Amino acid sequence: MNELAFTPLGDIEQIHAELDATFRSGQLQSVPFRKYVLLQIGYMLKDNTQRLSEALYQDLGKPPFEAAMTEIGPVLGEVADTHAHVDKWAKPTKPPFSFLVQPMRRVVYKEGKGVCLIIGPFNYPISMCLNPLISAIAAGNTVVLKPSESTPATSSLFAELFPKYVDPSIIRVVNGGVAETSKLLELTWGHILFTGSGRVGRIVAAAAGKTLTPVTLELGGKSPVFIDPSCDLETAARRIMWGKIVNCGQSCVAPDYVVVPKAFQDQFVQALKAAHDSFFPDGPFAPKAMGKMVNVAAFKRVYALLQATKGTIAFGGQTDETTKSIAPTVVKNVSFEDSELFGPVLPVIPVESLEEGIAYVNKHDHPLALYAFTTDSKFKEKIVKATKSGSVVMNETMLQTGIDGLPFGGIGPSGSGFHNGKYGFDTFTHFRASIDSPSWVDLVMKIRYPPYTAKKEQKTSILFPGLPKRPSGPPSATSNRSLSKWILFVLALIFAGGLAKRRSA
Amino acid sequence: MSPPLVYTPLDEIDSVRDDLDATFRSGRVSSIDYRKYLLTQIAYMLRDNTVAIEDALFSDLGKPKFEVHMLEIDLAITEIAIVLKNLSKWAAPEKLAFSLVWSATRRVVYKQGKGVCLIVGPFNYPISVCVRPIVSAIAAGNTVVFKPSESTPAMSALFAEMFPKYIDPGVLRVVNGGVEVMEKLLDMRWAHLVFTGSTRVGRIVSIAAAKTLTPVTMELGGKSPVLIHPSCDMQIAARRILWGKVLNAGQTCIAPDYVLVPKELQAEFVGALKKAHDEFYPDGPLVPGAMGKMVTVEAFKRVAGLLKATQGTIAFGGDADEVAKAIAPTVVVDVPFDDALMSEEIFGPVLPIISVDTLDEGIEFVNKGEHPLAIYVFAKDEQSKKKVISQTQSGAISMNDVVLHAASHELPLSGIGASGSGALYGKYGFDTFTHFRASMDPPNWLDMVLGIRYPPYTERNIKLSSYFCPSIPSRPPP
Repeated sequence: MNELAFTPLGDIEQIHAELDATFRSGQLQSVPFRKYVLLQIGYMLKDNTQRLSEALYQDLGKPPFEAAMTEIGPVLGEVADTHAHVDKWAKPTKPPFSFLVQPMRRVVYKEGKGVCLIIGPFNYPISMCLNPLISAIAAGNTVVLKPSESTPATSSLFAELFPKYVDPSIIRVVNGGVAETSKLLELTWGHILFTGSGRVGRIVAAAAGKTLTPVTLELGGKSPVFIDPSCDLETAARRIMWGKIVNCGQSCVAPDYVVVPKAFQDQFVQALKAAHDSFFPDGPFAPKAMGKMVNVAAFKRVYALLQATKGTIAFGGQTDETTKSIAPTVVKNVSFEDSELFGPVLPVIPVESLEEGIAYVNKHDHPLALYAFTTDSKFKEKIVKATKSGSVVMNETMLQTGIDGLPFGGIGPSGSGFHNGKYGFDTFTHFRASIDSPSWVDLVMKIRYPPYTAKKEQKTSILFPGLPKRPSGPPSATSNRSLSKWILFVLALIFAGGLAKRRSA
Repeated sequence: MSPPLVYTPLDEIDSVRDDLDATFRSGRVSSIDYRKYLLTQIAYMLRDNTVAIEDALFSDLGKPKFEVHMLEIDLAITEIAIVLKNLSKWAAPEKLAFSLVWSATRRVVYKQGKGVCLIVGPFNYPISVCVRPIVSAIAAGNTVVFKPSESTPAMSALFAEMFPKYIDPGVLRVVNGGVEVMEKLLDMRWAHLVFTGSTRVGRIVSIAAAKTLTPVTMELGGKSPVLIHPSCDMQIAARRILWGKVLNAGQTCIAPDYVLVPKELQAEFVGALKKAHDEFYPDGPLVPGAMGKMVTVEAFKRVAGLLKATQGTIAFGGDADEVAKAIAPTVVVDVPFDDALMSEEIFGPVLPIISVDTLDEGIEFVNKGEHPLAIYVFAKDEQSKKKVISQTQSGAISMNDVVLHAASHELPLSGIGASGSGALYGKYGFDTFTHFRASMDPPNWLDMVLGIRYPPYTERNIKLSSYFCPSIPSRPPP
């Protein structure tokens, strides 16, 4: 087993200085160069798929299929997407035409921020470390990557592989625990992207506040699932069970708990069982059938939550501490509870009406994801309007994190900022405004100079735009309504007119 | 002298936030029409109360009427006009371009408000610098607590009086106070916090916000340098630089702080500055209404102290009147790099001039310090401009003019490093206050393809898993 070698504390400032020097040298300003680095990262994965897969299996019991589908595949996708678009994204942008200021030659340059720090989580060591890293490089930064010490095999492998593919003065892997991370957080960075728990997120944000380092926090929360009986039950159960068992439930956007109308609970649980049985014909503890808890502490935490539940275990419940295995477990008749599960246990909470579920969710911290299984478009609309969450997904779980063009980020305690694709690029980009003011502009703009005569005071308002008419009051609630109301109104007028005529006749 | 500012009682602040949160949750501000109405109301609030605003800003800052119009009211109204024009477009859900692979998922990004936002305003441009982020926050569908500066009591009292007449206090509330009120506000969680002020206080705010996981945008300060290149138009340069310096008596976060000029051009440059100065102030700078004043006696003393301690030589200016809190525009030449005037952001109408041998020397000096909010380059030579752009980092970089980039439509106001983080104004401001909510709604039949993801993970599935590993361009040559 790989013993994770920690980076010596004394080296960390030196590493930061080196990467800063590379940034200041301007080497990363070249977009072709960034594209080269991106491809190197892609080939680092392609050339070492087997070893990376084995490391993930060692650290998390992650089945090779999941390593391909949820780790290596998404990163290659990010490399491809970013490589294809970075030229466009990095181009300076010109704001829309505006007569008054057009001569000022306004432009917004896209620049790197400096040396950026990416602190990765244990659950998806490859995709959650490398996707942000790819964005940071694409935006023209140098990067220190601090992968999790809870995944020693994978983190060691990063430290070994990266220098073979990318100059260590551009990307450096720093391994370590609390002391090393604290040291990193004492320094000033162009940007920090942290993925992990809210508790540590606060520590990172506070340290960043001291150095005025901007942060993006990808945290967690309890992602609820609403089941509306109008859904396709079989598909819903399969997708929910899938979301729950991937990586042994250790996904920040895993469906955490399910809210289902009372009368539908049993039917739903049966469908979950059917899905479970189709997934694990040889049982969930068959070799490579399912991931494991990352360490004994995590196992114990989930185990304890399971023991303490007042609900009824519908199926599952088997555990094995030596292999850190927990079988997919569905617990029904649960009442609402508090901490993020991060394990393959699915509480099912029966309610009188889904309104009750929505009210509960709204009383608590905004989750990273919110799921609803329904074919009722009114209900979908209500979910989108009446709740807040990082993402809101209908009839599916988890996939939103891997889709091109969708931002990945939280709100409130589930996090702030976004990454993935252009959102990631923008996160690591400094938008530098620029003008280039010709001398002749002062023929008009000389009005700005003192002395401030009364004549000048009258003149400035010609430089500035007019406004819409003064509102007579707030728009009425029905002002958005459709044509039908107008038709009714006109009909009413005609009718009233008709009545008036008859009266006067 | 204005009456003392009435502070919001500390025990009211929780209920203020609860009110605004309830409004947000009611969904009222998700209506685009309603947001447009609110923004139009703010514009008319400024129009209708122009005289009261002029009086308040004159009382607080000695701000000349002309500056109140050009740099405060008109900038805020322009922002509102731009936002009104674009709001429907910006707020519309982002429907992503057709993709053979992804379109079946019915992916979309909703633009939603984040919740109750806190905007903490500075003393120097109470109208434009406060109202512009307020406009962005409301445009993006949030409710707002606005905390103006206690150093501008007349204006902050006027805000508290004006806003409720135009905007439902359930949507926007003005909270006034000092350190205690700020501490109370910082103890609470906000959907977003915009702070404009000094770097020192920015740190305190950021650390406090971290406790509640409140995302922040910081508009801080720094020493914005001016680099003069021999190829510039000297007269124009001097006039524009002096103009940027005298605005609001130098109390502008993007004021040109100090100048790096080639040795051999120093005398000519100073001469041009003097000429511009005399054109600006035919009756002298300290006549009433000619120029702004320092905001407080403390501010006056701070700047006067820096001037007293300088090792440079005063070329012109230097008059000061503590009672009136007035400092005349003062140019100091032959200032050494480690002078008192170089020890902190001046934020006053004193312009130190440092002579250098080359542009490179100037760039090297600028890079030794913290990233400033702006860098100014006066040059016609394109190579020199490009060199400064690529060899420095700053919030903004402006050629041949100062300050105006913050008034140029739809450019972001953004700091970097110690000068701040995040971006405001126009669409940048709108996006700052927007939660980009990813969504999808894939049909069942998609599992004919995506069904490969389900266990059991057979050999067949593993072979097919290469479907999930997209191809990338060919390997670069070694």
